[in-house]
Amino acid sequence: MAAPRIGNVLCRISNCNFTSVLLEKINYSRSSTCLLQIRHRQAFPPAAWYVKRKTTDLDENLTKENEEFLDDVMKDVYRKRLDRVFSPLEDGPWKRNEYNRYTRRTGVLAIKIGVVPQWTKEGKRFTTTMLQIIDNHVIRYTPPEKFMKSAGWKPWWGNKYGVAVVGALSTNPRIYTKEYNNLFMESGVPPKKKLTRFLITENAAVQPGTPLNAMHYRVGDVVDCSAKTKDYGFQGVVKRWGMKGMPKSHGVTKTHRRMGTTAGGKFKGGIWKGKKMPGLMGNRWRTARGLKIWRVNTKYNVLYVTGQNVPGNTHGFVRVMDTKLPLRKPAPDNPPPMPTWYPEDATEPIEEEYFDKDLFQFTEESVKFAEGKK
Amino acid sequence: MAASMSCKNVFQKISSASRSNLKRSYCQSINLTNAEVRRKRNEIFETEKKRQLGLITRMEKIQVDVKGPPEDCTLIMNKGISTPFNCSMHIQELLVNRSALALVNGEPWDMHRPLKEDCSIEFLHFLDEDPRIVNKAFWRSCCLVLGHVLETALQNQYYVELCSFPKPHLQSGSFVYDADLKLKDWKPTTAELNCLTRVGHKLHHLDLKFERLEVDASIALDMFQDNRFKSQQIPFIAESSGSKVVVYRVGDHVDISSGPCIASTNQIGRFNVTAAHQIDTPDYGKLYRVQGLGLPSQVMMHYWSYDILRRRAGKFNTAPLPRLKMESSPQTDDNNTEIST
Repeated sequence: MAAPRIGNVLCRISNCNFTSVLLEKINYSRSSTCLLQIRHRQAFPPAAWYVKRKTTDLDENLTKENEEFLDDVMKDVYRKRLDRVFSPLEDGPWKRNEYNRYTRRTGVLAIKIGVVPQWTKEGKRFTTTMLQIIDNHVIRYTPPEKFMKSAGWKPWWGNKYGVAVVGALSTNPRIYTKEYNNLFMESGVPPKKKLTRFLITENAAVQPGTPLNAMHYRVGDVVDCSAKTKDYGFQGVVKRWGMKGMPKSHGVTKTHRRMGTTAGGKFKGGIWKGKKMPGLMGNRWRTARGLKIWRVNTKYNVLYVTGQNVPGNTHGFVRVMDTKLPLRKPAPDNPPPMPTWYPEDATEPIEEEYFDKDLFQFTEESVKFAEGKK
Repeated sequence: MAASMSCKNVFQKISSASRSNLKRSYCQSINLTNAEVRRKRNEIFETEKKRQLGLITRMEKIQVDVKGPPEDCTLIMNKGISTPFNCSMHIQELLVNRSALALVNGEPWDMHRPLKEDCSIEFLHFLDEDPRIVNKAFWRSCCLVLGHVLETALQNQYYVELCSFPKPHLQSGSFVYDADLKLKDWKPTTAELNCLTRVGHKLHHLDLKFERLEVDASIALDMFQDNRFKSQQIPFIAESSGSKVVVYRVGDHVDISSGPCIASTNQIGRFNVTAAHQIDTPDYGKLYRVQGLGLPSQVMMHYWSYDILRRRAGKFNTAPLPRLKMESSPQTDDNNTEIST
């Protein structure tokens, strides 16, 4: 039955005979509907685990000297804690386990810096995206049994996965609420601007307070990058769905970028669900799978991954994880550092840049001329 | 029904509290409690206050020139009855709520202290250009509140005798009250300090006025006869200020203090009891130096910054130990003799 239209006459056809039509006038009030257009994504009530982050603007009126003093105290407090790799609350470092084909390690939180071209040794040019792993620390690890009882668990995960909460970009605790700052008590790190979680297997458990950097990945590893896509807002059908629209002239009246036909007639059930229409475009989580790491810069913790299609804007946060594509996983004789890379793993001094063997380095010779004959 | 019960059963059914009441009817109670003493002091304060109010037989008017925001104005108030608080009520609610002290003819004056003659008034609050006077008054008021906390918080069997508090010195990091807690080697845990804090913090919501009263030394001695320290100090205090002693009442807690106090406990925003250190004084013997930290309600501070101050307030305050002698008496008028902030 067609939905009633507000304030208009509703036609109801009785069961017995299509000729007997009952006309009723039904008034629906508009008070329940929103009078403002929703031009952004619907904000639903926050999840059970949500913690209020920022304090309301506190007009502290501190003198300049006092502000500087507080900054010094903050640096002092956190420098001492960050010097220690492991959590001050734990007795000692956790056991490091072996990598197997079912292992899921932690990911990292990176910032998409930009897109640069790279060249292979054959001379083929391709684009790479630079992802900077910015000030990452593991904030919390929840083992599978505890995770199963928490708010963020989904039943299809079973008891396979624990959770590692990773934070990026340390900031001033004075802009956050007490509840948010207390999330970082266990790990002893300064409060982070961005938090994310990664599902990890038990054998990849990471101790809170562990820093994560670019050495977590090696050159040649394949990663999945997920991020929120660029937010284009409310877009028409041509941009959003790539429809062709209509000609700009030759008698076309008032229809240049419209959808055109919507449905296939009343016998086909009207407009089908999922019909491509104008609407909010972008600002969705998308994952780019199977991106190879061509180059790792250890000084700035930058990964160069294939492609220019890592979702999001420049300086947007990106979740970088080991790939789930089965044929791109690391070989059993070349496992990645478990659960992450620690400085004591370094057998030789760490270089500033690591290049893939197929990647051309501009410090190398490109062309070699044979000597002698002209 | 009662007759059928045996005497033994009757006494077993009566609680220990009532049993001590029964005892009291035959003889004076052996152990003093803070609650009793407080009630008694309150009664004396109340009667004295009524008596002083009764001395005013005729309603005389005084002219009060109020200076400052929102505008300068002149009020006609009642002599000996109207307070600067009443003046602010005539002007603006903002002044009523935020004014902690008044400057009456340039002299720091409590908000609830009656005005005696024609004067000019200025209202002071914590976000002034130069809040030094208000800050000291705040620190002093917090000391009184800390005294109240100590007298209320401990169990009945510990009869707390407050000794004194030193001059307000904000840079030291904490306000202090030296008292005899009758406890042996007590090192308060964080939880215990939190409990003490909560007792003090509740007063914020009760909005208790700091009532000032000038009493004769004899009445003061009567009030504080159960406190061995204060009864020694009162003659010295009265000596310097012509047989008059200034007492303040907060709720039902009465204490001696010289300088002005803030208007109400509502203006104490943050209140923390931070430490209790043991001290050995030459005049009074072994005492506890209880330290606290507070911030006015007007002053906003992030909890992280406040925690830094709180940790510092836990360290031993090196203010001078309580002495009986005049020169280092804690009751000197410190407002007019302050040298630096």
